[in-house]
Amino acid sequence: MKINQKKTSWLFAILFFIVIIVGIWDASALIYGLQRGSLYALIALPLAMVLGIMDILNLAHGELLTVGLYASYVLFINFSIDPLISTLPVFIFLVILGGIIYFLTIKKVLGEGHLPQLLLTFGISIMLIELIKIYWTTRPRNVYRAYASSSITIGNFRIGSYEFLYVFLAFAVFLLLKLFLKKTRLGQAVYAVGQNPRGAEIVGINVDLVYLFIFCLSSGILGLTAGVMLPRVSIFPLTGNPFSLISFALVAMAGMGSINGILLAGITLGIAEAVIQAIPGYGGWSDLVFFGVLIAVIMAKNIQEA
Amino acid sequence: MLEVNNLNVFYDKIQVIWELAMQVNKKEAVGIFGPNGSGKSTLIKAILGLVDSVEGEVLFRGQDLTKKKTYNIMRQGISLVPQNRELFPDMTVKENLKLGSAFISEARQSTDETLDFIYHIFPVLKKREEQLAGTLSGGQQRMLTVGRGLMAKPQLLILDEPSVGLQPSLVIELFQKLKEIKEKDVSILLAEQNVRQGLKIIDRGYVLENGRIVLEESAEDLLENEHIQKSYLGI
Amino acid sequence: MKKIIFYLFFVIMAATLPYYAGGYLLHVSTTILIFMSLSLSWDMMLRTGQLSFGNAGFFGLGAYASLISVSNLDIHPVLSLFFAAVFAAGVALVVGFAVLRLRKIYFAITTLALALVFEVIVMNLSDLTGGSSGRVLPQAIFGGNSVLIYWLILFITIIVILISELLNKSKTHYAINSIRNDEITARSSGINVFKYLVFVFVFTSAIQGIIGGVYTQQYAFVMPESTFSLDFLLLPIAMALVGGIYTTMGPILGAIFLGLISEYLKLIMPYGHLFIYGLIIVIVILFLPEGIYKVARKKYRNRKSQEVKLDASSEGK
Repeated sequence: MKINQKKTSWLFAILFFIVIIVGIWDASALIYGLQRGSLYALIALPLAMVLGIMDILNLAHGELLTVGLYASYVLFINFSIDPLISTLPVFIFLVILGGIIYFLTIKKVLGEGHLPQLLLTFGISIMLIELIKIYWTTRPRNVYRAYASSSITIGNFRIGSYEFLYVFLAFAVFLLLKLFLKKTRLGQAVYAVGQNPRGAEIVGINVDLVYLFIFCLSSGILGLTAGVMLPRVSIFPLTGNPFSLISFALVAMAGMGSINGILLAGITLGIAEAVIQAIPGYGGWSDLVFFGVLIAVIMAKNIQEA
Repeated sequence: MLEVNNLNVFYDKIQVIWELAMQVNKKEAVGIFGPNGSGKSTLIKAILGLVDSVEGEVLFRGQDLTKKKTYNIMRQGISLVPQNRELFPDMTVKENLKLGSAFISEARQSTDETLDFIYHIFPVLKKREEQLAGTLSGGQQRMLTVGRGLMAKPQLLILDEPSVGLQPSLVIELFQKLKEIKEKDVSILLAEQNVRQGLKIIDRGYVLENGRIVLEESAEDLLENEHIQKSYLGI
Repeated sequence: MKKIIFYLFFVIMAATLPYYAGGYLLHVSTTILIFMSLSLSWDMMLRTGQLSFGNAGFFGLGAYASLISVSNLDIHPVLSLFFAAVFAAGVALVVGFAVLRLRKIYFAITTLALALVFEVIVMNLSDLTGGSSGRVLPQAIFGGNSVLIYWLILFITIIVILISELLNKSKTHYAINSIRNDEITARSSGINVFKYLVFVFVFTSAIQGIIGGVYTQQYAFVMPESTFSLDFLLLPIAMALVGGIYTTMGPILGAIFLGLISEYLKLIMPYGHLFIYGLIIVIVILFLPEGIYKVARKKYRNRKSQEVKLDASSEGK
């Protein structure tokens, strides 16, 4: 896991370029992209942590988000707890769920290579999707909150104001995480394990505990995000599913294990999608932007390695 | 201080260490010599819980280590200077050193003093304090590894082939530093192929061949020993 | 020789199934064969050490290619299967060239995205594909004759089984095994790793394309939701894992075993029956990573070798 950035400068350059072009052409796409991109970054961050530190690509990542959304939904429907307030209990719930998943499964395939890990987390993702289907069917559900549908008008554009919360939250979480990694003992342990688990063990770090902590924290951040997202999304068993892929695309873009890059990559992708969506008649293709980005990054890596 | 009794170690059912017994006393520097593949590294890994199939007894200050996890063993007052360094390449030299004591409760309070002491022995580390460990030269990385090991204020410092991959002048320098360290009353267990250098700092040595101890003598006697002279010193 | 008679017996049994089995059993067998081929094709790619999640994507691609070529170009349904294969292979070639140099998680995740990507494309090219409501054919292949359909699928499956055996027996086998076990050694012994990977990826994708085509011709319709269904991704993987990966026998046994269970599950659990497959994958990975076939074979061999050992030790005394 790298905090000391080397390679994000090109991302900055691309982002800056896009911002200028898009800003001239359609300013609302810019703001919309910033909002959506922050959300992407927020969701990708936990995936990046688990991948960067534990070297496990968690294909059930998106499903943990879905579980968070449903948990928040249940709290709202049954106990009328506002989604924003439920972020705390859902955070705790997902930390516990993450811990259970870690102990029962992930722990057993650590260091076993990518193949069993990918298949295992794929299996878990299916189990979560299907469990949700059994309880709540595939019917989409919504939570309406008046505050979430407010908007502001700038010039000729109407922009959702609630979504600025994504931007705020993304920056807050990233900042806190970086402070935590640099300034606390546990953070340094996490950082050390990410670079060299064997070395970490030699200096007396309980690597297993660090893994557990990271998996739980990652899961918890998804719970937090879920509560914030709920008033603005329609939820069904596959809501979170594409986020595993999108998150990986961001991680690939930022460079494995880089934290700073994720935020930049997220915003870049968000704006790129918003731009495609704004083209009349071609809005439906915006779902493929992440794939285009992923392939582009892979090609760039090919060239680098060749 | 460290006592190994009746140790058998296996890799996938293949036995690599046989009925091994050895000990390191307080304030003593002990060497383990032997050719490549004789089981030196395996012995160290077995002591530190880094291999799975271990039979026998490893006592450190009266406590059995064989049931303990590695990180916990490192918290009992043992430090390892591993053969392949195991540094944190994307952290600075200082951060690497500080991690050496951060998780050892006895050493944590005195981090700053120990740091001064290490900078005193290895001035080059002080100079490169803010540099990333991955950008150091091989010799400097080795110094850093030793420094990190000392940060834990160990009672027993275990060194696994510290001379490997170093050019001769650096090896001589390193062993001079180790001599300084030894004078600070740290017990040392040194696994080494470079017997000539090793003999300069140890009090007593074992010779390990094919997973068995074939010889145990004081440093002076080892130097005189015919087998040692022929096979290891090339006299 | 004994083995050949044994296999021949099974082929004849399978080929004559329509004469002694009822309609329902024939239908179940057809479905099992389809999944068996998919499972084998997935396993063949895995033998190179690369985990692909692309089976559902190429299956769907083949399905659409076959349907569109029949209804827009008016070619014969059987010929359309070749079209489906070529189309899937072509796409796999392009994707493989882009991604197979990096491999591992990059390959896995890119192939996982394929089904989603193809689905989005299909949704957006609604003039050609019918969008989200899909398209239908005027009639199924062979006028919907289920016996002929069964034979066609059996024929394809036997060919896939033969390819799989060939892959495990021929010189290619050593290349593929060494790529999986130790790529650096494979490379240094002169194996063109990239070429092999692209080759296997392309022909396994072609198989998936054909199967998608057959499936479409059997049911005479395509629809994004059902054509790119998770079933075609999940079941083949679960089958190969349960039966035992890297073998031909594993996916065959797994497909028969899980195929039968699947029919039962669909009856008792119309919603969320895929949960069981997720669970199966998790359990196999955690507790039975070698699958049934290999564990059974090992037990059998162990017993044999123990007998040998006993003999040896009694001689020693």
